[in-house]
This record gives sequence, C-alpha cells and structure tokens, in this order.
Amino acid sequence: MKPLLVIGLGNPLMGDDGVGCAVAERLAGDPRLPTGVEVIAGGSDLFRYAAQMRGRSRVIVIDAVQDGAEPGSISVLENAGSQLDERQDHAHHLSVCQAIRLLQMTMSVAPTLLGISISSARLELRLSPEVDCRMPAILDRVLQELIWNSSK
Amino acid sequence: MRTIAVEHLARVEGHGGITVELEGDSVSNVRFDVFEGARLLEPLVRGKRYDEVAPVLSRICSICSVAHSLTSLKATENAFAVRISPQTELLRELLYRGENIESHALHLFLLALPDYLNYPSATALAADKPDIVLLGLRLKKLGNLIQETIGGRAIHPVNAVPGGFGKVPAVDQLLELRSALIEGMKYSDTVINLVSSLPAADFCRGDGVYAALLSPNLDSYYAGDEVMIACNGDRSIVRAADYRMLTNEASVPHSHAKHSTFRGKPFMVGSLARLTVKPRRSTGRLVGLRERLQLQSPAGNPMDNNKAQALELVRDMDRALETIEQLLRDGVKDERPVGVHPRAGTGTAITEAPRGLLIHSYTYDAEGRITSADVITPTAINAASMELDFQRAVTQCAERDDAVISKRLQMIARAYDPCISCSVHLVRRL
Repeated sequence: MKPLLVIGLGNPLMGDDGVGCAVAERLAGDPRLPTGVEVIAGGSDLFRYAAQMRGRSRVIVIDAVQDGAEPGSISVLENAGSQLDERQDHAHHLSVCQAIRLLQMTMSVAPTLLGISISSARLELRLSPEVDCRMPAILDRVLQELIWNSSK
Repeated sequence: MRTIAVEHLARVEGHGGITVELEGDSVSNVRFDVFEGARLLEPLVRGKRYDEVAPVLSRICSICSVAHSLTSLKATENAFAVRISPQTELLRELLYRGENIESHALHLFLLALPDYLNYPSATALAADKPDIVLLGLRLKKLGNLIQETIGGRAIHPVNAVPGGFGKVPAVDQLLELRSALIEGMKYSDTVINLVSSLPAADFCRGDGVYAALLSPNLDSYYAGDEVMIACNGDRSIVRAADYRMLTNEASVPHSHAKHSTFRGKPFMVGSLARLTVKPRRSTGRLVGLRERLQLQSPAGNPMDNNKAQALELVRDMDRALETIEQLLRDGVKDERPVGVHPRAGTGTAITEAPRGLLIHSYTYDAEGRITSADVITPTAINAASMELDFQRAVTQCAERDDAVISKRLQMIARAYDPCISCSVHLVRRL
C-alpha cells in the first residue's frame, strides 16, 4: 500500500481560495513532515490527481471552506459530501464534494477533507492578513492530523 | 413582470447567474453575469519578467492551464520575434490535444450528459449508469497522461518555457502514450454512439456567427495567427495583432466580462465554431463520424457544441497518435529552448482553448518586463452570444413553467462549456 498522500487545493491567484495550495507548499518543506508522507500542491480540480490517489491507504485533501467560522480555523470532514454544499456550480470541473463522492464510488478512495475557513475569495496574489497570520497554527494543526493518521 | 433566475452557476457570489425578465410572453431583459477574473489580472503580472508570466497566468484555470500557458509563451515569443523549432511546435500541439481530450471528456460525460439523461449531477448518473461515468473518467485520464508526459506535471505545465521545452519526452514515454491512445481509441465508437443517441435539444436555433483560429496545419489548436469569422456564408479574416477589431469589446453593467461583437453581432467560439468555420477539414473516418452525429453545416443550433466536442474528442485521439508516430519516426531531438533576447515591443497570440479562442497580448519594456497585459478568454467572447441564445430559448417557450425554462437555460449555458469562475473553487458548508 502506498503511503499517505496530502493534496492541497486552491488557486493562488484568488487570495484565500489558494490557502490549501499554500499549506501544501509549506508542508512539503517542513522538517516535521512525517517520513513517507507525500504532498501535492494542486490546482482546483481534485480529479486531476485520481491516478496519484489510487492504492493509497489514506488521502487527505486540504481546501478552503466558507462556513462562517473564524478565518483560518480548521475542521476535519470525514464525510464531506453530506456536510458541504454539493451543488454543481462549476461549469467545467467538478466541485470538491462531487469529486470526493465520485472517487468513493469509482475508485474506493475516501479522502478526508481538512477545511480551512475563509471569509472571501477575490483576485489577489496573497493570502489575507487574517488567514496568513494563522498559518503557523494551521500548519501545526495539519501536521498533528498527519502524524495521527500516519501512525494508524 | 416575471423574472426567471438561475443562480449558483459560479462560486463567486453574485456571479455566473442567468436572469431573464419577461413582460407577458416577451423577453424584456437577459443577463448572463460572468465573473471573468482574467480581465483583472494585469496588475498581477505588470513588472514581471518574461519568464515569470506564463507560470502565473497558467493558474487562471486548472482545466485550461495548458491553453493559458502556451498562449502566454506564444505572445511573449511573438513580442521578441522568437522562432520555435518544428519539434517544439509539434510537442506544444500534442500538449494542447491532451488538454482538449481531458476537458471535453470531463464536460461531455460528467457535466453535459446528466442534463440530457435527466440526472441532477454526475454522482447521480454514476450511481445509475456507472459505465458512462467510468468511460468519461478513463478518457479524462488519457488527456491527463498526455499533459503530464509532455508538460511535466498534471496541471500548470512547468516543462513548456519561452523558446521551447525544458525537457523533451523520452522515446519510452512516447511509446507509453502511443499504447494509451490506441487503447483510448477503442472507445471512439462508444463515444459517438452515446452522443448521437442523446435526446434532441433544439430550443434556441438561429442564425449564428462563428469564429475560429485559421491554422496552417490541419485542426491545429496552437499554430496560426489569424482568425476566420463565418457569417451567413461570408468569411472574414482578422490578424492576431488586430484582435481588438475582432472582439470590439464593450463594457456592460452586469458583468466583469466585456461583451464581444464582430461588426455589431455576437459570435460563438469553441468546438462548433471550429467545425463550422473549417467544415471541409474533416477527412477520412471523421467525415463518417460527423454524419453519424448529424452535425449540420452551416450550424444553427448552439446545443450542437456538445456533438462537436464529441467529434473533437475522437479526432484529437487520432491526431495525437499521428503526432507521436511522427515524433517516433523522425526521432526526438534533445533540443534546448532557443535563445530569447528581450526587447521592447508588443506580442499578441491567439490559440484555440478547449472552449474557443483565447487571446493574450503583452507589451514589454527593453528589459523584458511586462508593462501591460490583456487576456481575453473564450467565455468572455461567448457571453454576448449566450445571452442571445437565452433570449431565443425563452421566447420559444415563454408559456412553459419556470422549471422548464430554467433547465433549458442551464443546458444552453453548459453547452457553451463556459469558464465562469474556475479561478475560484472553494466549498461551502450547508
């Protein structure tokens, strides 16, 4: 079985929408990253990484979530499809929730979603100050989750 | 007044929606509200060095990242009068075909087919007809493999650089691609049979104006510097450098995207436009496939864009295989990118993204830093044409209830395969 895979999603051109991608980039260079964990800093189409997810014991997806919580706070969503808005509101790629559901149905891959709360997404190359200042705490929390998962 | 609103076609609040207002059975107002982030990107690239531009702009969209990356490189190379090698042109075309295969497979099987087969989503379709969804995913994966092999990774290709490629594919990688394509082509008939058997969707027919890249090579997405516009049998040609004459953009209050018209008429770009503007370019078995799909020429039904995508999906597997055979036959040269010597000037590039004409135009200073940039996406170009088709559709069925009209509006929007807000993808808790 292949090791744990972490996929950070997001568009860095759209401010806090890119937080998942930003977390993945920092994780990849963090010495605390558990041995064997693989990290992909991805775009916005989770299905692009279907081949990389095949045969994994565990896949963790990190993505921005708009849930009204304080920006930068993290929630772990084991069954994302039932807790998140699954409407298809993308014209030419699947929403993360739909992609997770389809991965479960077609590949028996069941990613866990680590949602990072954000308040808005707008055209901006940087994260907002309120999310950026929480980045050390976000990394600590994500690493805690990875260490717990990789020890299972 | 009666108002029909289709919301949440996009994640950006207040964007991507369709609003139609009726006075009795007459349509008084139609709005398609596009969030078109590409229009607003100039500040993000202004001052960047020529080799930093494509990596930033390829991020505009995950599905169209190859199109944005290669169009950006082409504009930069045009600005500096860089001539790429024939091998680079072949590899870029192949990379483009990979993106088109992936994009069309995803759009047709997972987004458009649920509409036609009366399923609310791809997941609902997968629960009932898993073979259809699995076929779409299989073909999408084939497109991904081409992009990963030639572009260097699954999205945002890092291997395509100014002047060429950082690394050319090895023979064994091309052989692997050839095997995957031969396997994928076994499903060509299934694709055509499935799409040709879909229920008719003919509720916004009308005279159309179509525009597509005029390429020197057969069915090219990348090569070419002129656009042909077809209108009622007349053909006009516009050079890339004169793209503003082609798009003739005007701001509208309800959209970030400026509306494009040619000589005052909205026009359509994308698969159907490509096949309409260049109807005689179908050769060999593609002629038969086109007949099976009952694709008419001249086109008049924008919903046929779905059929045109099916034809392109099959054709691009053929063409990609031909390109690989050529590369293997000629031998892949271990070329380095040609030298790039920055100079002050402007370069404009037009290519065919999966959903239609994509324009990048940059002005550089003498040090090779961007002083101005203009990016016009196919969705922005199509916006005015979509609004016209929404109006036609509602006029034809104004007496029907809102749910029927709403579904037709969504099907039209999806047939255009728009990139409304792909720059934002976040999820929302219920």
